[in-house]
Amino acid sequence: MSKEQIIRFLPTIVLLLPLISAALILLFTQRYRKLSAGLSTGAVAIGLGISIFLFASQGTDNSEAGSDPKFTWLSIGLAQNDSPLPTASGQENFALDIQSLNDPLSRLMLLIVTFIGTLVHVFSLVYMRKDKGFSRYFGALSFFVFSMLGIVLSSNLVMMFIFWELVGVSSYLLISHWFEKPAAADAGKKAFVTNRIGDVGFLLGIILIWQQTSSVNIAYINSVEISTLAGLLIFCGAIGKSAQFPLHVWLPDAMEGPTPVSALIHAATMVAAGVYMLCRVFPIFTDVALVTIAWIGAITALLAALMAIQQNDIKRILAYSTLSQLGYMVMAVGCGGAEAAMFHLTTHAAFKALLFLGAGAVIYACHHEQDIWNMGGLRHNLSRTSITFIIGALALAGFPLLSGFFSKDAILMQAHLSQKPLFIIGVIVAGLTAFYMMRCVLVAFFGKARTDQAKEAHEVPGEMLLPLIILALFSVFLGAPQIGLADFLNLKEVKASHHAAMIWGTVAAAVGLIGGYMIYRNADKDPLPAKLGAVSRWMRDRFYFDELYAFLNHWTQEKLSFASDWFDRWIIAGLGVKGTSGAVDVTGCLIRLFQSGNLQTYALLTVIGLLGILAWILF
Amino acid sequence: MSPLTYIMGLPLAMALILAVVPSEKRQFFRWGARMATLGSLLLAIYVFSAFDPPITDQPAPLPAQGTEESALENEYGYKFTQRVEWIPSLNIHYYVGVDGIGIVMVLMAALVAFAATCCAQEIRTREKEFYILLLLMTGGILGAFMSLDIFLMYFLHELALVPTFIMIGVWGRGQDKDFAAYKITLYLSLGALLTLAGVIMLYLQFGTFSLLSMMDHATQFAGTEAGAFSATEQNVIFALLMFGLGILVGLWPFHTWAPLGYGAAPTATAMMHAGVIKKFGLFMLIKVALPLLPQGAQTWLPILALLCLGNILYCGLVAMRQKDLNLLIGNSSVAHMGFVFLGIASVTTIGLTGAVMVMVAHGLLAGLAFGLSGYLYSQARTLDMEKLQGLLASMPFWGTLMIMALMAGCGLPGFANFAGELTVFFGAWKVYPVITTIGIWSALVIGAVYMLRAIRTLLHGMKGEQTPEVEDLKHWQRLPYALLVAVLLLFGFYPKLITDKISKSNATFEQAKKGQTPTEEATE
Repeated sequence: MSKEQIIRFLPTIVLLLPLISAALILLFTQRYRKLSAGLSTGAVAIGLGISIFLFASQGTDNSEAGSDPKFTWLSIGLAQNDSPLPTASGQENFALDIQSLNDPLSRLMLLIVTFIGTLVHVFSLVYMRKDKGFSRYFGALSFFVFSMLGIVLSSNLVMMFIFWELVGVSSYLLISHWFEKPAAADAGKKAFVTNRIGDVGFLLGIILIWQQTSSVNIAYINSVEISTLAGLLIFCGAIGKSAQFPLHVWLPDAMEGPTPVSALIHAATMVAAGVYMLCRVFPIFTDVALVTIAWIGAITALLAALMAIQQNDIKRILAYSTLSQLGYMVMAVGCGGAEAAMFHLTTHAAFKALLFLGAGAVIYACHHEQDIWNMGGLRHNLSRTSITFIIGALALAGFPLLSGFFSKDAILMQAHLSQKPLFIIGVIVAGLTAFYMMRCVLVAFFGKARTDQAKEAHEVPGEMLLPLIILALFSVFLGAPQIGLADFLNLKEVKASHHAAMIWGTVAAAVGLIGGYMIYRNADKDPLPAKLGAVSRWMRDRFYFDELYAFLNHWTQEKLSFASDWFDRWIIAGLGVKGTSGAVDVTGCLIRLFQSGNLQTYALLTVIGLLGILAWILF
Repeated sequence: MSPLTYIMGLPLAMALILAVVPSEKRQFFRWGARMATLGSLLLAIYVFSAFDPPITDQPAPLPAQGTEESALENEYGYKFTQRVEWIPSLNIHYYVGVDGIGIVMVLMAALVAFAATCCAQEIRTREKEFYILLLLMTGGILGAFMSLDIFLMYFLHELALVPTFIMIGVWGRGQDKDFAAYKITLYLSLGALLTLAGVIMLYLQFGTFSLLSMMDHATQFAGTEAGAFSATEQNVIFALLMFGLGILVGLWPFHTWAPLGYGAAPTATAMMHAGVIKKFGLFMLIKVALPLLPQGAQTWLPILALLCLGNILYCGLVAMRQKDLNLLIGNSSVAHMGFVFLGIASVTTIGLTGAVMVMVAHGLLAGLAFGLSGYLYSQARTLDMEKLQGLLASMPFWGTLMIMALMAGCGLPGFANFAGELTVFFGAWKVYPVITTIGIWSALVIGAVYMLRAIRTLLHGMKGEQTPEVEDLKHWQRLPYALLVAVLLLFGFYPKLITDKISKSNATFEQAKKGQTPTEEATE
C-alpha cells in the first residue's frame, strides 16, 4: 500500500480509536482503573498525533476531500451507493454512506478536538483520582470524543445527525456522572431534552433538503439552492447544540458535571459543534436566513453577558461567558463571516478550556468550593494557577495582542460590514465580557482570603498544571498573525471596517476592565445589587427564562399528557370498553329472560314469531 | 424438506415431547425448551445468511421444468419453499417460504423466543404447562411469518395467540390479572375474528389461499376491470383486515388492552407477545392486505395515517404520566407501533422498508425491556417507580442495560430503532408532512421526556427509602439480555444487514403502490 493510500485511512482511524477504547472499557476494564484511563488517554493522544500529521502534511490542500473506507450504512430499494448527484429515481431508492471527510476545515477541527481532549484527559487523571466511577468516567469521555470526531468528519447530513445525537447522549452521561446527586441527574436530563427540541428542527431540515435536492451529501447541497425554511430548520440544530437563545437554558445547569467535562464538552468542543455545522453548510443559507442567524446570535451574546455579571459560582460565570461567546460566533456566521467564526471558535477553545481547567484547579484546591465570594487572595497560594487563569481571562476579555483580541476583532469587522446595530451589540458585549472577567479575577484571586478553604489552599500537582501552562501559551499566541491561523482560514480583511473594529473593540475592553477594577477593587461583597436594584436581580435570576419554560411546559405538554391519560383511563378504557362489555351483559340478561324454561313463554314467542313471518310474507 | 420446517417444527415437536414427560422433571422442561428455541435460532441464522435470491428488478428466467408455483416463487423472490397438500377439499396447503421481509421477521422471532425461554425462571408452578404453551407460541408465530398459504398463516397465528390468554390468566401477576386476561381475550379475539372474515372474503374472490397465486392475479389485473374485483369489494376487505389486524397490534383507539395486558403477563409472555406476536398484524398488513388490495389501501390508508397519530402522539403523552414501569413500557410500545403504521400508510418503498426495520428493532427492544422489567419484578415484587429509586448503584449491570433499552426506545442512533424510525420519516414525509412532523416531535422530544424520567426516578438519584434490597443479574442470567442488546446494536450500527434483505421484497412494495392515482405516475 502506498503512502497516499495509508493517509486516506487516517481520519477514520482517528475516529475509531476512541470508540474501541470506550467499548473495551465498557466490556472488560471496568475494574482496572489505571488501564481504563490509559486506554482512553492513549486513544485520544494517538488521535492527536495523527491529526497533527494530517494538518502538517496536507495543510490547506482541498483537492481530495474523501477518504477511505467508504462504508454503506443502509440501502433501500435498488440503490446501491449514495451518489452525491440525485438520480432519476432518487426519491424511491435511498442509500447512505459513512465516509470521513478530509478537508482543511475538518483537519483544523480534528486538531482542536483531539488537542483539548488530550489535555482534559491528562487533567482528569488527577482531578477524578478519588472518584469511584473512574473507569466509567473515562469510558464516557472516550465515547464523547468518538461522537464529536464523527460530527467533524461527517460527509453527509444524516451521518452528522447520527453523531449529533451521540454527542447529546454522551454529554448526558457525563453531566449526570455523579448520578446519585439529584441536581446532576436533573441537569443531564434537561440538557438532553433541550437538545432534542433543537434536533427536531435539524431532522426536519435534513428531510426537507433531501426532498428538494434528492441528496444529503454536504458537498452537493452546498452547490445548489436551498429554501430559507430548510436553512432555518437546519439552524435549529445549532440553536440546541450551541445553546443559543431561546434554547440556552441547559448549558449553565450542565455545570453540575465534573469540571474537566465542562472544559471539554461545554466550552471547547460540543457546544462549538453547532457553529462548526453552520460553517460546514454555510452556502445553503439565504440572505433572510443569515439575518435571522445573526440576530439570534447577537441576542444570545448580549443576554448571556448580562447574566454573567451577577453570577457568583465560578463555573457558572464561565458558562454564561461561553454562551455569550457562542452567540458571538453565530452572529459572525450570520454576518457572512464563517471564517471569522471558525477563527474565534479556535482561539475560544484554547482560552475557555484554560479558564475551565483553571477553575477546576481552584475548586480542587479549595475542596469543592465554587462560590467566588468564598475565595479571595488565591494568587498567594495558587500563584501558577492564578497566572494562567488571568492570562485566559485577559485573552477572553480581548486584551490587545492576546489571541482573543484578534479573533474578536475579526468578528466585529464582519458585523461592521454587515449591519451597524449588530456591530454596536458586539462592542457592548465586548465591554461586558471584560467587566465580568475582571470581577471574577479580582474577587477570586485578589484581596484577602474570605474563608478557611481559601486560606489553606495548596498549589495543584504537576499533571494538572501542565495542561494549564500549555493552554496558556496557546491563549497568548494562537491569534497572532505570525502563527498563520487567519491565513489558514483564508480570512479576508477590509481596511476601514478593520480599523473601526479594532478601535472600538479595544476601547470597549478597556472600559470594561477599568470599570470592573473600580467597582471590585477590595470589595468584600457585591456592590452591584445595591446600585442596580431589580435589574441586578433579573440578571442573577437569568431573566426568568427557566421559570417561563417550566410554566409553558406545565401548561401545554404536561396538561396534554394529563388530559390524554385521563381520557385513556376513563373514556376509552372506561366508558368505551366497559360500555361495550356492559352492553353485552345487558343483552345477555335480556336474552336470559326469554330462556326462562317456561313452556308457555316459548309457545307465546313461537306464535309471535309465526305471525311476524306471515306478516312479512303477506305484506 | 425446507429448513424453515425445522425452525417451526423444533419448538412444536419439543412441546409434544414435554407433554409426555412427567411433571416432576422440572429441569427437563427448562432445558428442553431452551434447546429447542436455540436450535430454531441457529437455523434461522443459517437461513438468514444463506438467503440471497436475485434482485427482482429483472424477473429471473423461468426454470425449464417446474410448476406454476415455483415460477412465481422465483418472480417474487421466495426461498426455502416447501409445499404439501393439507386440506384438498378447500385447496389448503402446508406451504412455507420466506422472502426478505419474512426472513428478517423469522430471525427476530427466533431471537426473542430464545431469550424469552431463558427468562422464564420466575415460573414456579405448573412449569410443564407453561413451557408447553411457550413452545406452542414460538412454533406458531415462527410458522406464521413463513406461511405462503394465508389460511395456514392465520391458523398458526391463532396457535400462538391463544396461549397468551391462558398464560396471563394462570401465571399472571398483580390484582388486575383476571380483568387483564378478560380484556385482552375480548379485544384480540375480536381482531382475529375480523381478520378471519377478511381472509375468507379474499378466498372467495381469488379462489385460492396461496399468497403467490393471489399476488400473481392481483399483479396481472391491477388497474384493469377484467378479472379484478371492484373497488367496493376491495374497500370492504381492506377495512376488515385493517381494523382486525389493527386491533391485534394496538391501533388507536383499540390499544388499551396492551399496557394492561403486559402489566399482568408473566415475563416470557410479555416478551413474546409485545415483541413478536404483535408484529404479526403489521406483517400481514404489509404482505397480504397492501399488495392484494392496492385500491382498498388507497381509500383507507389516509385514515390509518390519522389513527396512527393517536398512537404516536397520544400514547406517548399517556406514557409520560405512568408511574408503573410496565405500564410505561407498554404505552411506549404502543406508541412505537405508530411509526410502523405511518410507514405502512405512506406506501413508499422507503416508508415500508422503514416499517419493517422498526418491526424488527422494536421486537428485540420490547423483548429486552419486558425481560428487564420482569427481572426487576422477580426481585422487588413491584414495578411502582415511586417505590423503586436509585437502583443503578446496587444493580450496575441491569441498570446499564435498562438505560440502553430506554435510550434505544427514544431513538438513539446506534440502536436499530433509530435507523428504522429515521427511514420511516424519510419515506412518509412526502405523503404526510404534518403527521411526520408531529411524529418527529414525538419520537425525539416526548420519547426523551418519558424515557429520561424513568431513568431519573428508577436508576439515578439516591436509593429510595422504600426501595427493597435487590440483586444484580449474575453470570448466565445475563446471556439473553446481552444477546438482545448485541443484536440491537449490530443492526443499529450496520442496518444494511437488514435493508439488503428487505430490498429483496421490492416486488411486494411495487405491487402495493399500484393503487396510487395514475395522475401521479403520469406526471413523473
